[in-house]
Amino acid sequence: MFQLPTVQFTEAQEQFRLEVRAFLHEELAKGTFVPKCDSWLSGDNPEFSKLIGQKGWIGITWPKKYGGQERSTIDRYILTEEFLAIGAPVAAHWFADRQTGPLLLRYGTEQQRAFFLPQIVKGECYFGIGLSEPNSGSDLASVSTRAEKVEGGWIVNGQKIWTSNAHLCHYMVTLVRTSPYDGKHKHAGLSQLIVDLQADGITVVPIKFLTGEHHYNEVFFDNVFVPDNMVVGEIGNGWVQGLAELAFERSGPERILSTFPLIDELIQELKRQNNIEGLKQASKVVARLWSLRNLSIGVAQLLATGNGDEVSIPAALVKALGTKFEQSIPEITRLLVQTYPTLDAQRKIDRLMAESILHAPGFTIRGGTSEVLYGIVAKGVVAQ
Amino acid sequence: MSEMKEMILEVVERMLKENVSKDLVDIVEQGKWASDIWNLFVENGMTAVAICEENGGAGGDLEDLLNIVRLTGKYAAPIPFTETTLANYLLAYTNLQVIDDLATYMLAETPSFTLENDKLTGTAHHIPWARHTKQLVTLAHSTKGIHLVAIDLSQAAISPDKNLAGEPRDTVTFQNANVYQQSTVLTSEQIQTMTAITTAFQLAMMTGAIEKINDLTVHYTKEREQFGRPLHRFQLVQQHIVNLAGETALALAAFNNVTVALVAQSPLSEVAYARIRFEEMIQTVATISHQVHAAIGTTHEHSLQQYTRRLWSWRDEGASTFYWTDLVATQLLEHSGDSLWAYMTSCTNNSLLLKAQS
Repeated sequence: MFQLPTVQFTEAQEQFRLEVRAFLHEELAKGTFVPKCDSWLSGDNPEFSKLIGQKGWIGITWPKKYGGQERSTIDRYILTEEFLAIGAPVAAHWFADRQTGPLLLRYGTEQQRAFFLPQIVKGECYFGIGLSEPNSGSDLASVSTRAEKVEGGWIVNGQKIWTSNAHLCHYMVTLVRTSPYDGKHKHAGLSQLIVDLQADGITVVPIKFLTGEHHYNEVFFDNVFVPDNMVVGEIGNGWVQGLAELAFERSGPERILSTFPLIDELIQELKRQNNIEGLKQASKVVARLWSLRNLSIGVAQLLATGNGDEVSIPAALVKALGTKFEQSIPEITRLLVQTYPTLDAQRKIDRLMAESILHAPGFTIRGGTSEVLYGIVAKGVVAQ
Repeated sequence: MSEMKEMILEVVERMLKENVSKDLVDIVEQGKWASDIWNLFVENGMTAVAICEENGGAGGDLEDLLNIVRLTGKYAAPIPFTETTLANYLLAYTNLQVIDDLATYMLAETPSFTLENDKLTGTAHHIPWARHTKQLVTLAHSTKGIHLVAIDLSQAAISPDKNLAGEPRDTVTFQNANVYQQSTVLTSEQIQTMTAITTAFQLAMMTGAIEKINDLTVHYTKEREQFGRPLHRFQLVQQHIVNLAGETALALAAFNNVTVALVAQSPLSEVAYARIRFEEMIQTVATISHQVHAAIGTTHEHSLQQYTRRLWSWRDEGASTFYWTDLVATQLLEHSGDSLWAYMTSCTNNSLLLKAQS
């Protein structure tokens, strides 16, 4: 399970990296965006998403007939790295690009693909992921939002919570119970529905993040009608379909680089101070980052070439290790450079510190808590 | 890795599994010489892997060799395999003749030996396996600069010593001894590349030991029961299992990437990052594995100590973390431009990437 492939970038891939980087630096110089830590979750900027869409950089791996570029998983990895390393605001289209597209390509109907994917690649159609509920956090299989069959579709009642950017999204892939909970087969009877967030009966209520910012929401369903053609895959197969998304969700660069803008500024600051002892300490951070990146990119390559079964354990491992690393960065930084973190600070490192400190608690929670991941990895290792 | 390579490694692993017992490692630690396992390695052409065929080599490439070295680390093989093959690799790198015999090396940042009129003088400590080997490959100062030299150890006064794991680490003294091969004056870039290559071999051994420690520990959590359950059923033990698995996966990924970088002749930054990170891995892996094994793991009878003691020894040998953090910090200060990310991901502008002499 530990032998992952290594990746050597081709010359074309190196060129692509530079092309993306040049574009981002240009937009940065124009003032299109301000670099932020954790920009893939908190940097929502629909105008920027449309700009990315015009470049053809959303759904970059998808088939051309849906507006994709049919490029490789590694190309997408490079693209994502460049966005995150500079702290570009990619949150608006993030989940549609990372999860919904691949889900529809794998399980969606032709009608769904033809309708949604071209809108997603333009950066005009955003998806939320409706998983957690007030009483179903880590124990996701216990969700109780239910859908009942009616003529021509389903009636949904219940509530989702912690839905990132639901207030900006057009749709939400929602995990619902389509048959009653059975303690013996708790993963059965779950289904995925595409819910139009503008539909009658939907109420989106903000939950303020600890900074006061608005990222996540509660979403209430009161007799919401979802037509049959918005069922993803098979009724009752929602758990299996959802699991397939997880390896992509868990092993990407966003599990390592959420605080990279702070690392970069730390190095610049130490250089300005000519602080060689500080740089020696910081070189350990660089080494940790590099070793995680080697692991993460190995998983990405395996995802592109191998089968899902052998990927799920290392993917969970990447998230558990990577998020712990991201979380450690502000704590390391503040002992190497004197800072006074505030969100509107003039000094860049103070602002990035504030963003990192305040967002860090979420890193090891979102997308599966570290405790759940540890359980998955431990069982996988013991079963070898 | 190609199927052919995987097959070769399977054969080597079987050979090690069948021939290197805990008892054999113990005996060698008492000062004996494991001639059988050494001869087996020679007969199977292992010492000639990654030496080109015109020099009497067996073909194979550096990736093969480093993976065989990794396996010798995984079985704590009590033979100077790394030393002999690395000595030859360094000789080939500096365009000298390879040695068809037991050899060892010493590549200290500041050479302990002086070279005058082809005669070597000086004393070096902690030379691996010197008492059992025939030739030494090492750096020496002349009035012109630093050279790589090869010298017959029969001319040396050797005083036996050992590391924490009981492996031979001897003191070697030469007094006007004849050097039979010497390189031209080496540039500091060449010496840095040779240091990177040497560190890569050490990383290979460490990776193997870490793999073995992970295997032993996971196995123990399945076999040992307390409170009516196997240890791996306890969540706090599971946490240890995952942290250990994490370090093992990171070690293997780092090692594999070092190998690729070495083959591509641009190893320096990859080796530097890996070596710095291995420092933390060794600490974590040793602590967790002993904690999970509890009392039995602290005995000489259990094989765990053969691997943890090796890691505790190897981490202080050769170019250690001090060397590599110093190098990375200096490079960051002087050459990283105004973006760390651009620096880390660059292939061409990175002055760490030095080409090996072809």
